[in-house]
Amino acid sequence: MAMSPVVTYDSTSNIKVTATKAKSLAVRTNSISKPQNGSTSEPGRGQELAERLNDETKQKYVKDKKLGEGTYAIVYLGHLKADPSSLLAIKKIKVNTEYRDGLSMDAIREVKYLQELSHPNIIALHAVFSSKNQNLNLVLEYLPLGDLEMLIKDSEGIRYGTAEVKAWMGMLGRAVWFCHENFVLHRDIKPNNLLIAADGEVKLADFGLARSFSDPYRPMTYQVITRWYRPPELLFGARFYSGAVDVWSMGTVFAELILRFPFVAGNTDMHQLELICNAIGTPTEENWPGVSKLEGYLKYDKAATIPVRGKDFYLSKFGTAGPVGVDLLMSMLALDPRKRCTSREMLEHKWWSSEPRPTAKEDLPKKGGGPERMGEDLKRRGGEIEDGRGDRVARKLNFGVAKS
Amino acid sequence: MTEDDIYRTSTQYRLWSFTRESLASLRSTTNASAADGVRAAIRSQHVGQAGSDPAREGSNDKPSDPAKEVDCLTVEEEQKLVGFYCVKAMQFADFCEFPTNVKATAVQYLKRFYLSNSPMTYHPKEMMAAALFLSTKTENHYTSLRSFASKLPKTTPESVVAPEFLLTQGLRFTFDVRHPHRGLEGGIMELLGLAQGKGQAGPGIKQSSEQLQKEMVDIEPAKESSKKARSADEVVRRIQVAHGKAKEVGKSSALLTDAYFLYTPSQIWLSSLFLADEPLARFYINTKIPTTSTLTPKLISTLQSCAELLRSSASANPGEAEIKALTRIDKKLFKCRNPDKVDLVGINKAQKRDSKGAGENGLDERVIKKRKLEREKSEKEAEGIFGPTLAKETN
Repeated sequence: MAMSPVVTYDSTSNIKVTATKAKSLAVRTNSISKPQNGSTSEPGRGQELAERLNDETKQKYVKDKKLGEGTYAIVYLGHLKADPSSLLAIKKIKVNTEYRDGLSMDAIREVKYLQELSHPNIIALHAVFSSKNQNLNLVLEYLPLGDLEMLIKDSEGIRYGTAEVKAWMGMLGRAVWFCHENFVLHRDIKPNNLLIAADGEVKLADFGLARSFSDPYRPMTYQVITRWYRPPELLFGARFYSGAVDVWSMGTVFAELILRFPFVAGNTDMHQLELICNAIGTPTEENWPGVSKLEGYLKYDKAATIPVRGKDFYLSKFGTAGPVGVDLLMSMLALDPRKRCTSREMLEHKWWSSEPRPTAKEDLPKKGGGPERMGEDLKRRGGEIEDGRGDRVARKLNFGVAKS
Repeated sequence: MTEDDIYRTSTQYRLWSFTRESLASLRSTTNASAADGVRAAIRSQHVGQAGSDPAREGSNDKPSDPAKEVDCLTVEEEQKLVGFYCVKAMQFADFCEFPTNVKATAVQYLKRFYLSNSPMTYHPKEMMAAALFLSTKTENHYTSLRSFASKLPKTTPESVVAPEFLLTQGLRFTFDVRHPHRGLEGGIMELLGLAQGKGQAGPGIKQSSEQLQKEMVDIEPAKESSKKARSADEVVRRIQVAHGKAKEVGKSSALLTDAYFLYTPSQIWLSSLFLADEPLARFYINTKIPTTSTLTPKLISTLQSCAELLRSSASANPGEAEIKALTRIDKKLFKCRNPDKVDLVGINKAQKRDSKGAGENGLDERVIKKRKLEREKSEKEAEGIFGPTLAKETN
């Protein structure tokens, strides 16, 4: 496959604001306030500025073949009209006929956050336009090389070591740090939401469950994050939480990258908690002050309490990461979210500066999921995974009629 | 990456920040093109009527252009009207007990929408409910459409979502609004920390926490009439008073003026602190930037001009005279509304129907006729102050 698309941004959605403010403002207002007088004569009558801008955006892209279709979206391969060699993914969000409350929350969240977050490790949203029947179309960066889940699962075909894990975790960590720096919680970090670009760069995708940090005292739902990657505080029903939930998910991804199978893969929420107790330790007032006050906290029998695992346990399981890597993993998987490292602390950890150096992205193992895999990954709505695994998914957000 | 760098990547900066001049020119362009649209629509409607009813047009050879006589709204009148419905949106938000961010975002949605749309094309009364509903969704305060619509008078679920698509298009599919409120809370926490001797000055400033705490007691009073603080406790009380006042500004004039278009969230909250207690605000800034820095006078002058704007705000409770003026504008608007865009519920339905491949010629015409009847009926009913009631479902 060629390289990732070189997209020429129009001045109105220029992501790299290099010009001085005054200058970029001048450019911007020009493009918004100058209707093209010539072209507005007949077909343009009754067409407002916003409509015209939308049409202009729409005209710039061409949809090619369909890559995948889900209940929530259809994904197409596309290109820039001006550059047929460019590659893009166009995700058309279906208007759900059963959902009568207008634009769905998933679509709103995805558009809202991707519009704001531009970072090399977050899937780029180049443009949004609507087709005439009020469908939303998201023009996304084309990521043809599948996702991390594919690489993890293919233990026969794909070999990798600590240096590769370090490279992937570094990219994931930077993406999540950037989200948190922008007051955004992702709330659905897992290997198949980590897509791979043609050059090997990992990109965090699927912002359908993302939200801004809550204001103090404003409760949030705990029914987020796919179960295997969900932290104990959410399993206990915490309604006030922080970026620590994403750090836990990253910790489980880290563990999975090393083990090459999911670290704690419960079949139910209860089972998930049980597995966490076994693998990491039983949450108690001693190791997590205040935990017993959480709504969903389970009284554990003193005798059945499993002490928090020490470093030896982790070294025996994740020894390939080395003692420093294990140290990072342990701090990402701390039961008490207040003791868990933040995404910033994660990036400041000494593991990154110790041997081995992370593999350069172009040398990372590739599987080549192909465009179809991207279609599969993108057609899901937030939190959704392929058929058959649906029961393990956090999909019960409390939106009333929002979910069919 | 500094906070400024991050802010510059936001859509609020990239798409919704302006200079005063560019803002004014954008608004006048929108006004002019909407007025053209109104005239064109009236003209074509008139031609249609003349064709089907030649008796009415007795003097056919004297082509009097009905569109020429239409007295369109000025930019100022549009602004007043939109401002009024922003206030209405805030009142509804309060009535529904929505949190500040929902309210504030809804108001900004309206203001942003009417940068590229005119009330002559889309009446703010209809956009208001759509903006508030959309903001409950984007600000994580989702309320079901049915219960939302039931709280507003003369509102059906259909009339709330019918303009939603237009609204999102007018917002250019950017839903994030960066507010000054969180910044203010942070600043107040820092001030309280300073007052309790736990604060720390920014880089390049050498005062210790204790020194800062002492200096704080000596800040001159907010107003000449009020007395100087004598203890750290009194400083705390002073901060709390300033907090309350600044918060009020953040909930009212910061939203209703063009502050969001012209200034950054941090400039807005600092300016509202400036309005609440200028000496305190200056002290705070001096703990961040050395007084000798060339940045300080620049920042202060920006804050002063922003504070000036915030002070000038139209009140959140329009008086009798204002209501009178608004009534006049709305009456005027009644005569210069774009007739093609009155029935948003119908337009929305038609668009969705078209997309499904149904709704060929015959049906369309029938719908158009039905809609026209509906319109005429609602025009007759239009004796209320703010124009006709919302269009009912046609089928």
